[in-house]
Amino acid sequence: MRRLGFVLGVTALLVTTGSVLMAGTAAGRFDQKLAKDRQVLHVLNRLTFGPRPGDVDRVRSLGIEKWIQQQLQPRSIEENPLVAARLQPLATLQLATWQIFETYQSPLQTVQVPAPVLPQARLAQLVSSEQLQKLSTGSAEERLAIIGSIAPQNLGPVLAALTPKMLEGLPDLQKLAEKARVTETNRTQFVFRTTVPNLNNLLTAEQRRVTQQGTPAERRALIMSFDAATRKQVLFALPPAALAGIPELQREALAARQPPMFVNQELIDSRMYRALYSNRQLEEVLVDFWLNHFNVFNAKGQERMLLTSYERDAIRPHVLGRFRDLLLATARHPAMLFYLDNWQSQAPREDVAAQPLPPNVRRPGLNENYGRELMELHTLGVDGGYTQDDVIAVARAFTGWTIYDVGKIAEFQFNPAFHDRKEKIVLGQKIPAGGGEQDGIQVIDILVRHPSTARFISRKLAQRFVADAPPQALVDRMAATFTATGGDLRAVVETMLTSREFLSEGAWQAKLKSPLEMVLSAARVLGADVTDATAIAQRIADLGQPLYGKAEPTGYSTTSDAWANSAGFLGRINFAGALASGQIDGVKVDLSQLPGNSTNAIDAARWLLGAAISRETLKLLEKGTKDTALSLASVAAVVLASPDFQRR
Amino acid sequence: MLTRRSFLKSSAIVLAGAGTAPQWLLRAAAQGAQGKAGRKVLVAIFQRGAVDGLNVVVPFFEPRYYQLRPSIAIPEPGKPNGGLDLDGRFALHPTLQPLKAMWDSRQLAIVQSAGSHDPSRSHFDAQEFMECGTPGIKREDGWLNRALAPVAPDSSPVRAIASGAQLPKTLQGSRGAIAVDGLPRFQVADKTTAGLLENLYSTSLDAQLKAQGQATFDAVKLIESIRTRPYTPSGGAQYVGDFGQRLQQIARLIKADVGVEVAFADIGGWDHHSNETGQLTNQLRQFGASLAAFTQDLGTKMEDVVIVTMSEFGRTAAENGNAGTDHGHGNVMMVLGGGVRGGRLYGEWPGLEPEQLYERRDLAVTTDFRDVLGELVGGHLGQKVDEVFPGYAPKTSLGLLTS
Repeated sequence: MRRLGFVLGVTALLVTTGSVLMAGTAAGRFDQKLAKDRQVLHVLNRLTFGPRPGDVDRVRSLGIEKWIQQQLQPRSIEENPLVAARLQPLATLQLATWQIFETYQSPLQTVQVPAPVLPQARLAQLVSSEQLQKLSTGSAEERLAIIGSIAPQNLGPVLAALTPKMLEGLPDLQKLAEKARVTETNRTQFVFRTTVPNLNNLLTAEQRRVTQQGTPAERRALIMSFDAATRKQVLFALPPAALAGIPELQREALAARQPPMFVNQELIDSRMYRALYSNRQLEEVLVDFWLNHFNVFNAKGQERMLLTSYERDAIRPHVLGRFRDLLLATARHPAMLFYLDNWQSQAPREDVAAQPLPPNVRRPGLNENYGRELMELHTLGVDGGYTQDDVIAVARAFTGWTIYDVGKIAEFQFNPAFHDRKEKIVLGQKIPAGGGEQDGIQVIDILVRHPSTARFISRKLAQRFVADAPPQALVDRMAATFTATGGDLRAVVETMLTSREFLSEGAWQAKLKSPLEMVLSAARVLGADVTDATAIAQRIADLGQPLYGKAEPTGYSTTSDAWANSAGFLGRINFAGALASGQIDGVKVDLSQLPGNSTNAIDAARWLLGAAISRETLKLLEKGTKDTALSLASVAAVVLASPDFQRR
Repeated sequence: MLTRRSFLKSSAIVLAGAGTAPQWLLRAAAQGAQGKAGRKVLVAIFQRGAVDGLNVVVPFFEPRYYQLRPSIAIPEPGKPNGGLDLDGRFALHPTLQPLKAMWDSRQLAIVQSAGSHDPSRSHFDAQEFMECGTPGIKREDGWLNRALAPVAPDSSPVRAIASGAQLPKTLQGSRGAIAVDGLPRFQVADKTTAGLLENLYSTSLDAQLKAQGQATFDAVKLIESIRTRPYTPSGGAQYVGDFGQRLQQIARLIKADVGVEVAFADIGGWDHHSNETGQLTNQLRQFGASLAAFTQDLGTKMEDVVIVTMSEFGRTAAENGNAGTDHGHGNVMMVLGGGVRGGRLYGEWPGLEPEQLYERRDLAVTTDFRDVLGELVGGHLGQKVDEVFPGYAPKTSLGLLTS
């Protein structure tokens, strides 16, 4: 009974799952140098999104050490011209955020702009202090007299700003004030609306039939026969099924229907192209790492409009630079200010804390969200030695770091009116009163210099590049480099990549690929020609790791256990099948380059897996293809879905 | 309707013919009535992101509540957009009408001021602690996995189901648990390679991949016959949103009677640091309607099912500067099901005055979340509570279950 034995075996294995591969004997094995024939594949698996055809030979002839040094200096590497070719049509990548807002505003969107000043403050601008006093404490008649004396052009704003107490005993005015508040709210909202065009007015009955039943070529020809303006309307109105199999028109339709999603899709596509084709692979891997570390979420508010700049201006320039610059760039970027709410955080105001405010008016006060995640997730780590008092002090220091014209321009702005001017104590260090914008910068400096940050960042990097539970000695050496160089990330990464632990048996195949890594490495090893990246990015999303799609500030897990589950395995198996048999839109694979044939799966498997092929896989493939002939596509699908290929 | 027994017989014959019948299936078929009617099921719901319990179950009798939350408080029952009165002191959020109906029919119990005594206000840590069932300690396995009996040869491959793309910490552990992200997708599309792949995983020396891979292939076989049948929820149940789809999938598996013992689903999007009112309403609509749909869909089967909801911590008693709330402490838990002593509030109400609040800012915790889960693990699943929550002795007996 093989099965019974299996069930019992699994029981035993499950008990120790998680420790067998990762910890177990691995501690000692980090001292054991990795076997020579595995080294090249290992460094490629860790510094790149997986080897492409020919990469193993290239690294071998250059030498591992020299190749690593090259990767640490990405500007020294000649870029693959395919990257520029694929990115060139993605026009939004070059745009400033205000240009993106100008061109790609959603056709169906309401943007609420919060009142810039307190209604009381606005009231104070519109009436004299004597009048204000009477409005606050006077009798109903006195208040009515004052309101009656307001100039007509100011009456609306004044009514909207009156508190319920000021309107007590004046029922008619209460109704007017209610109307005035609605008017005022509408005035501070930009509403963009276009209606969905009616297909029946745009297409004849015969044309509508083609959109429903035509082949992709027929549907494409029909849509391309219209002039640009009509085409835009048609694409806006057509159901998605009418564009199936025509990626370039799907893209155009997305631009017509949901411009912000189009902007984000171009950015996602660019990540795919760079990861697939760039020769500066370590830089791309690090961009992925740091974007995940400083996670922001595309579906929160207007975040999609801000992400292009976030990746380009805040993350990319610093991934091999100074941690302080990277941290500060994220802290000041509207994408982060918006995501973790700091743009709205204001010094608490005791003077208005107790009094009731009219509806729809924001009460000034602190928002702790950024202050907490800055320490827990970006710098010190959750056990890094901060308290709730520190969270509040940091949040107070960052009050006033906000966004200028959030729905239109979206640039960093320091607003002194929001800022808490009092003294703060952060992690035992005094930040004197009156520091203004510098308060936040001081906090950044305190955090960057804190030993917990050096440890936390080093450990997380080692977790991505070496093993889920990286050896402490390595983390300590990386942290020492971090401290000695003042947070030079290139130096920290170099310490790691040139360590004996990195090139050890303990690190070999120790990492389960994330969905992003699995999908990209499969496409790369097949030398896939990707001309439209949307479908392949969607596959990554379906496996549970959409780019820019992690709602929680933690980002995606950097360890294996998050990705080892049933839904994930089936998704990987089915992706591998679809990729190898050419079923993914915009992706072409040429299997004729693979050695072997339908009765010999071994050569193809060796070619795809290289040194990572296991004896068990070899044996089964030999036997399996002896029993039933498999197409080369099926062989490739099985190999890419095999346990061997799920690790790196 | 497909019963467990008839399903087991037909599948076992089909699979035995193909020479790949798993041991559990053959045994279960041979024993026939092994899957006896009345198998108890515990469904755990995690509200990730820290739901604002004070606006879910509203202490409208506390004037302090309205002082602390001038712009986001839920009005008293009877006022426009007012809460749904539970007992003259507390009210449900007005969107939770479907749950109010369950309260009225005594299927819903509410535990106030429940949570973890661990002081963490980190989402990640607090979720981890709650999912492990061990505040302050991170473990390799979750409480709901430990609440299962050890794996036996006839354990169903779908005994522990997470409905979603990930296997949450709550369900990770030695006792076999799988994640199912949509039944239609739960299959190997290319049947010609499925057998070879199964062998690759079952012979792999990679313990982690072998274990999960095998569990997957066994579950695929079992789910095959369920997956391919059309499904209409019973009782006019209307599931709402992604969360609703996840619950429907659980309901479908429970109703197919294939050996589900515990299930898990999560719903995110509760971290309302700003503009809470509208967002909370939207999330609660999906939450309440889907839970109600689940109970409608299960019908009389609910007699054997208990649902429990939790969230990593509550939110600040006072609103913050952006008509939202920040990370807090105590929260509300809900327990639903046929065997639940519903229509009652449980737990001591600690009050909202500054000196009554935890660290003078958050609702205090008066009932440890393990007291709630422990009663369900012990009373409903019949497992040893001290093994599921090691080192913990329940502080209070709440009496949540009727028997």
